[in-house]
Amino acid sequence: MTTVAIPLALNRRKRAPWGLRLAPYLFLFPNMLIFGMFTVWPALNGFNMSLYASSNGRTFKPVGLGNYTTILTDAQFWSVARNTVVYAIAFVVLSTVLGIGLAVLIEAQKRFKVFFRSVFFIPVLISPVVVGLVWGWMLERKSGAVNTWLSWIGIGEVPWLVDNTWAMVSVVAVGIWMQVGFYMLILLAGLQAIDPTLYEAARMDGASAWTQFRSITLPMLQPSIVVVVVLATIHGFQSFDFIYTLTGGGPVGATMLIVQYIYENGFQSPIRYGIASAGGVLLFLVVFVITIINWLISRKREAV
Amino acid sequence: MNAQPTVAPRRTWTSLGKTRLSDALRVVVLTAGAIVALIPVLWTLLGAFKSPTELAARPPTFLPDSWALTNFTEALTRFDFTTYLRNSVVVTIAATAITLAINSMAAYALAKYNFRGKTFLFVLTLATIMIPLQVILIPVYQVVAGLGLVNTLWGMIIPAAATPTGVFLLRQYMLSIPDELIEAARVDGSGEFRTFLRIVLPLCTPALAVVAIFSVMWRWNDFLWPLIVAQSSDVYTLPVALARFNAEETVPFNLILAMSVVSIVPVVIIYLFFQRQIATGIANTGGK
Repeated sequence: MTTVAIPLALNRRKRAPWGLRLAPYLFLFPNMLIFGMFTVWPALNGFNMSLYASSNGRTFKPVGLGNYTTILTDAQFWSVARNTVVYAIAFVVLSTVLGIGLAVLIEAQKRFKVFFRSVFFIPVLISPVVVGLVWGWMLERKSGAVNTWLSWIGIGEVPWLVDNTWAMVSVVAVGIWMQVGFYMLILLAGLQAIDPTLYEAARMDGASAWTQFRSITLPMLQPSIVVVVVLATIHGFQSFDFIYTLTGGGPVGATMLIVQYIYENGFQSPIRYGIASAGGVLLFLVVFVITIINWLISRKREAV
Repeated sequence: MNAQPTVAPRRTWTSLGKTRLSDALRVVVLTAGAIVALIPVLWTLLGAFKSPTELAARPPTFLPDSWALTNFTEALTRFDFTTYLRNSVVVTIAATAITLAINSMAAYALAKYNFRGKTFLFVLTLATIMIPLQVILIPVYQVVAGLGLVNTLWGMIIPAAATPTGVFLLRQYMLSIPDELIEAARVDGSGEFRTFLRIVLPLCTPALAVVAIFSVMWRWNDFLWPLIVAQSSDVYTLPVALARFNAEETVPFNLILAMSVVSIVPVVIIYLFFQRQIATGIANTGGK
């Protein structure tokens, strides 16, 4: 049978049998069906829905760009937008810098490398809901663990979650605590890919540790840093779950970010689907533009 | 820092001292960081064993009075945490199984066949990594509502199953499988699906493990989407229940802490077992 099959198989080169031509589509079908229904179609439909007003999800009234003008003249939206930008910038900058620092320090370790790597990654594994509620408990103003420990070293009661500014500081700090281990892991992989002979050559030339970091580590780590900045930007603009249990967006909206605004408009009465969809579109546009800018900057640097 | 043997001259007293000093400084900084990373986790663990009176104590006590499991048993018997735990387990396992099945099939098609629309579908898959759920919350909800899946576990399981990251990871891995192997199976008369199941999948075990671990971590900790789909408490997952009860203050905090520990432990154990695979998985894809 095999002697017959071989020439047959060669014959098929010209025109594969229908089974072979159909196979890839059958393999793709289940994934692409779910993907199309729950990602591609909604992504397209989201733009469409942002042009309608609806309070029940069944009847839709076309309003043109009405939702956008409503949002853009809504004082709450601007406060949410400001919070989101402040949070995202602080989060991206600090977690990238901290991630690089941790990765460089851990990579320099000869012993306990895996131990430190694991320890810093553990917060990444914890449900953001739990992260928020545990930190909320630890940051209580009276009798909270953090304020108690601070009082031991003579620092007075800090109004972590009660004061507007401190609440934002807390949210940024907890966000970094939760995510930095993830960025550290990406950066560690980048560090391990750097050719060690570069450092040997630099040491021969008598370069200091700082010079080595500036002129070897940072430039060689650039691709990983770009990945981290892009991911942190996306994470930063989409933070919601741990803030929901940490501050609930409070005090009086001081830590309410855009995703919570979308969620509340879409799923808490008074329901305003159109406004929520338009908020989603605006969020997408901002993240998209920033990602493109990140990418362009990194390409330009590579070219130089 | 370990190249001294070949070039001897700079081993003066000062440079040696300096190296030791910077080594010590690095260990101190890393240890301090590790403490900051771990303290909240340990504090939760300790808190889960404390009674309400101990939790209300000021200043807070460090170790619990007893290590009895009362908080855990009380949460599981007096409140419906068994249901939430079961929902979380069902959603995590079902979603992961579906993800592995459909992602690996799609990855195989994209890696090992030539067909019209291949590049388009691959680029489309990658591009949607940029469109996370938060952005398309309302339209996805519309689709799920249209299918009658609101307030069901399927409504949490299916929408997230077709992960672009999983397809990408598996495709990259499958590219390394030699075409000759598949061609040989074909010549032997093996059907396309049989070849995939019997020859390709077993070779992909490491990549499948990475996708499985990621999927378990994501689904287990998922919050926003289950929060929207689960409208009555019998379909709450653990994170949804914890967030709701924490906000409503209907469940005592010692029980919330106990259930938080229950939600933390499985993923941490999985991580400690598979941490090398997770590290390479994240290095290869940037994760998520």
